[in-house]
Amino acid sequence: MNKSVKFVLDDKIVKVDFAKHPELKPTTTVLNYLRSFPDHKGVKEGCAEGDCGACTIVVAETDVDDKLNYKTLDSCLVFLPMIHGKQLITVENLAIEENKEKILHPVQQLMVETNGSQCGYCTPGIVMSLFGLYKNHNNPSVEIIEDALTGNLCRCTGYKPIVEAARKACTNNGFDHFSKNENKIIALLKKINSDKETILIKNKNQKYFKPFSLSEALRLRKENPNALIINGSTDVALRQTKKNELLSEILDISSVEELKIFKKENNNFYFGAGLTLEQMLKYSDGTIPALEKMLSVFGSLQIRNIATIGGNVGSASPIGDCIPVLFALGAKIKLRSETSERTMPVEDFIKGYRQTDIKSDELITEIIIPEYDSSHYIKSYKVSKRKNLDISTVSGAFRLKFDEEIISEIILAYGGMAAVTKRAVNTEKWFIGKKWSRENVEMAMKILTEEFTPLSDARSEAEFRRTVAGNLLMKFFVETKQI
Amino acid sequence: MKDIICHDSAKKHVTGESVYINDMLVNDQLLLGKVVFSKYAHAKIKKLNIKKALKVKGVHAILIAKDVPGENQMGPVIHDEFCLAEKEVFFIGQAIALIAAENEYALHQAENLIDVEYEPLEAILDIETAIEKNNIIAPPRKIERGNPDEALKNSPHIIKGELKTNGQEHWYLETQTALAVPGEGKEMMIYASSQNPSETQAIVAEVLGVSKNEIEVEVKRMGGGFGGKETQGNHVAAWAALLANATKRPVKIHLFRDDDQIMTGKRHRFFSKYEIGFDEKGQILAYKVELNADAGSATDLSMAILERAMLHADNSYFLPDVNIMGKAWKTNLPSNTAFRGFGGPQGMAVIENAIDKIARFLNKDGTEIRLRNFYNFEKNNFTPYGQKIENNRLFIIYDKIIESSEYFKRRIEIKKFNKENEFYKRGLALTPVKFGISFTTSFLNQAGALVNIYTDGTVLVNHGGTEMGQGLHTKILQIASAELGITPDKVKVNATNTSKVPNTSPTAASSGSDLNGMAVKNAIDIIKSWLAEVVISEFEKNYPASKTLKENIVFENNFIFDKENPDKKISFDEIVKIAYLKQVSLSSTGFYKTPDIYFDREKGQGNPFYYFSYGMSVSEVEIDILTGQHKLLRTDIVQDAGDSINEGIDKGQIEGGFIQGVGWVTTEELKWNKDGNLLTHSPDTYKIPTVNDIPKDFRVEIMKNIPNTGTILKSKAVGEPPLMLSLSVWLAIKDAISAIGNHESEPEFSLPATYEVILLSCEKLKKK
Repeated sequence: MNKSVKFVLDDKIVKVDFAKHPELKPTTTVLNYLRSFPDHKGVKEGCAEGDCGACTIVVAETDVDDKLNYKTLDSCLVFLPMIHGKQLITVENLAIEENKEKILHPVQQLMVETNGSQCGYCTPGIVMSLFGLYKNHNNPSVEIIEDALTGNLCRCTGYKPIVEAARKACTNNGFDHFSKNENKIIALLKKINSDKETILIKNKNQKYFKPFSLSEALRLRKENPNALIINGSTDVALRQTKKNELLSEILDISSVEELKIFKKENNNFYFGAGLTLEQMLKYSDGTIPALEKMLSVFGSLQIRNIATIGGNVGSASPIGDCIPVLFALGAKIKLRSETSERTMPVEDFIKGYRQTDIKSDELITEIIIPEYDSSHYIKSYKVSKRKNLDISTVSGAFRLKFDEEIISEIILAYGGMAAVTKRAVNTEKWFIGKKWSRENVEMAMKILTEEFTPLSDARSEAEFRRTVAGNLLMKFFVETKQI
Repeated sequence: MKDIICHDSAKKHVTGESVYINDMLVNDQLLLGKVVFSKYAHAKIKKLNIKKALKVKGVHAILIAKDVPGENQMGPVIHDEFCLAEKEVFFIGQAIALIAAENEYALHQAENLIDVEYEPLEAILDIETAIEKNNIIAPPRKIERGNPDEALKNSPHIIKGELKTNGQEHWYLETQTALAVPGEGKEMMIYASSQNPSETQAIVAEVLGVSKNEIEVEVKRMGGGFGGKETQGNHVAAWAALLANATKRPVKIHLFRDDDQIMTGKRHRFFSKYEIGFDEKGQILAYKVELNADAGSATDLSMAILERAMLHADNSYFLPDVNIMGKAWKTNLPSNTAFRGFGGPQGMAVIENAIDKIARFLNKDGTEIRLRNFYNFEKNNFTPYGQKIENNRLFIIYDKIIESSEYFKRRIEIKKFNKENEFYKRGLALTPVKFGISFTTSFLNQAGALVNIYTDGTVLVNHGGTEMGQGLHTKILQIASAELGITPDKVKVNATNTSKVPNTSPTAASSGSDLNGMAVKNAIDIIKSWLAEVVISEFEKNYPASKTLKENIVFENNFIFDKENPDKKISFDEIVKIAYLKQVSLSSTGFYKTPDIYFDREKGQGNPFYYFSYGMSVSEVEIDILTGQHKLLRTDIVQDAGDSINEGIDKGQIEGGFIQGVGWVTTEELKWNKDGNLLTHSPDTYKIPTVNDIPKDFRVEIMKNIPNTGTILKSKAVGEPPLMLSLSVWLAIKDAISAIGNHESEPEFSLPATYEVILLSCEKLKKK
């Protein structure tokens, strides 16, 4: 077993040997690691929960075509071993020196010219998000620019000059000094990634396993049933960063390639559990609109770039945005252990508040979503305190099928209305055999509000939740009645 | 010299080189500090035992109230704020102990081992309860003119109402931070993230029990302030200093985000009651308003904030007979504090909402009522506190924005849209801002500077203002470069330091450039006068044919010349060298005080403001009446900045201030539970605007050709006023809601208009 983590930083392979550095834990975040160096203090902590983006960095990894893929991440939520085999790019790497003069990267130069920084504290994170945008898009639309910046809070500028900087900078097909250096970096990464031996980092309080194959992951899962399974760790990391919990055992499956496969077969979409939500968003674009819509307002790009579908379902949060959609779509979940494999509806898999049916030797390997023809109407809605980068107050995902104007199938799944994602079963029953009319919908709204006893909390009072839940049904009606 | 130049730190910001306190490289003796705070809103401390905690490996000191060597106080105006709690705690987040340790792990372990026992006492958690219990923090204030009761009685129409405006968390990106480095003897160097270094110096000296000349405070830059570091930056500095003093090692405190949100004060919540009398045309005849502010547990700046709220209760409108009462109430919450606008927004929100109601009542457009009641030129031009409105810009801005925003055309389009759409409604509103510039505590309107010219011709400017992103140092750099007639690359603005410029006022009240710019100019004028004499003697030597008069000497483009005879010239660098050799000083202090302002608090009368800044905005929103979600479709802003010193920076202030205001009026919700715990204590639940929340179409214009008189380079302050322009968004939302009932009934409304407020208001109208 390997005991160290390797990645590329400042164009060199860095080997982190935890045994030699007692100040580092396997769960030391990339943010804190970087900030321990005098020349990497540009990266800032603004919230330690992935909500502000001041800690945004870019990670480059080789994709299937052997090209480098640049992704923005919130470094406050990423543990060091998670960047093993990748290139870590920080704000200090963007400008280059030529003839003793500092040449700014186009995104930096434009940020200066547009007055895109005021106090400057969020700026390194913003610059990194712009850099990610620069590498991935040419002449991006306002929507793409806004999406790239959603995860970066700025309290000074009002964002307008930053959007302008993005628009003006991203015009060169992503070409820059990183492009020139890509072959060298790819070679370095290959050197690291040729070694597929499981990484195990141990100190007196913690054990961290990082396998590179599904069989190895399943073996470790069986041997260490209490280890927390992480992939993007956007949920689990908060237990450390916000609650100072010591995460004693971790099984990091983010480098298991078998879990990152997407395929479409026999009218089913098969999503590997390790696919990121950003990958899910791309795959569902044009094929599963209700899922695409929900994912498009899921967290921020930095979160979607690392959070996975397996994690979102596995954490079984009552406000996990994907779950109601998976309920409505009648999605199934595939679980595997070393010796067995089973498939069950996602709905049955979720057992309670953050509780699932997973067995102590199993991993979620796939989410299977059936394809629906145009006789099904499927929609999803999310209501939060703020349109973007927010957790649902209430979410709803609905599926409807008629048989000659009469409702023959209906699923009304809600998040945020109970301790778990829950279907409005009584309302569903009531609808069967009835017409999809405004009158009936108004009647159903009353039944629906009686089905739930939502909570009052920081996000809203119960009355708001109850009202919205009913109104979403009306919204569904309004959006489907024309068809 | 008013060429657009970028923020002087912009390059360092974008490359990550800018150093904030938490980035400073300190020697390996550095300890980290942590504040242990109360978990009860009001309780007696029955037991506080630190023995076990002290044994944690890596812990160097744990301090409680009795360990404070000086005065255990840190209130800036009134000494009613304990540095460390003594026998009782008054809010959740109040400091009760301080820990210094070698690492975070030790800090957390020690914190968990501190044994505290409380005996909970009854807590007052809202203004209504405070009023009921008569828990007032200081005597009420009043501003009155005429006989408002009589005028109300004689008014054809009266509208009575109440309005709640919630507070606002500053959410500066850099949380409160300070680094204290002990020197020899009693000396202490403080690196602070403070808008008020002189007060930080004073508070640190007081808690340590040493004189001010032992304490040096330096502020390089803040990662945002917005008022939140005007007094409350002092707290972390005092705590870090106490730990540094106890351990004789450098100690840094950098608050964790959630702790910062829980511990520090916010924009004041207000609960206001008003009565407004008017005629059929919408002419306001009388206005009575009672502004009740939630001061929190201590006075802090509450009385000054309340005062500014009262002085802005009129906003831009002439109120013939008027009574403005102000009361600040004590509650068991962190002491509320300065926040961009400083009470102005709360005072203005009430009258803007009242005018909105008048318009709905009379079935007229809001702009008609506003225009009718604007302060005028020859008559109706005195404020309730007796200050005459001069250089009134309301009408030119109004005309401009009505035209550029196509207000009336869009009003018709919106009507049509609302008729055709059952589930989406649009709303439109125009709101003005007239904001008084100057500290209302008149003596604060002073500033100092120290300008040094070095023998290589470079200049170092020190002044009393602090840089928090607003671009003050950039403007000062432009001013120095313009006044000395040298290019900006030769000028550097230094970190603010109490040893260079003493006894400074906070960088607040939008006054940074006005006050410090003038002080810098005055320092430069003194040096220029000395240099001019050197120039004259040089010209006499080099050009003996004619004499040069001192008043004809001009500093421009790195040269000094005789404007009567421009061939007679000498370079700036050269004259500096000559002056040095001739033993002429190249360094001077400068001082400035704003002339002719005063305010009699007892009488509520005076000329508290040197001038007013004006602006207007028109906003259009769309609401989804099934979910309460709103979209900001378009905002037009026209702002008066006098002759802007730097349009790029001023635009940044206008856009940024406006969006911050949009947060206050829409998504930013402070919510406490019944025990006084802040529920929205992180960005997970406290939602400031993201890039998606700015207007889809956002047009900002700075008025041209309206120079200000008597200010530095004829400019105007622009830091705070734009925040209040966001009231147009708030009232556009209300306009959209009221479209449900065809604008016939008044929607239920408060501030912020969260999705929840919008939805529930819509539901009520639907049921009508």
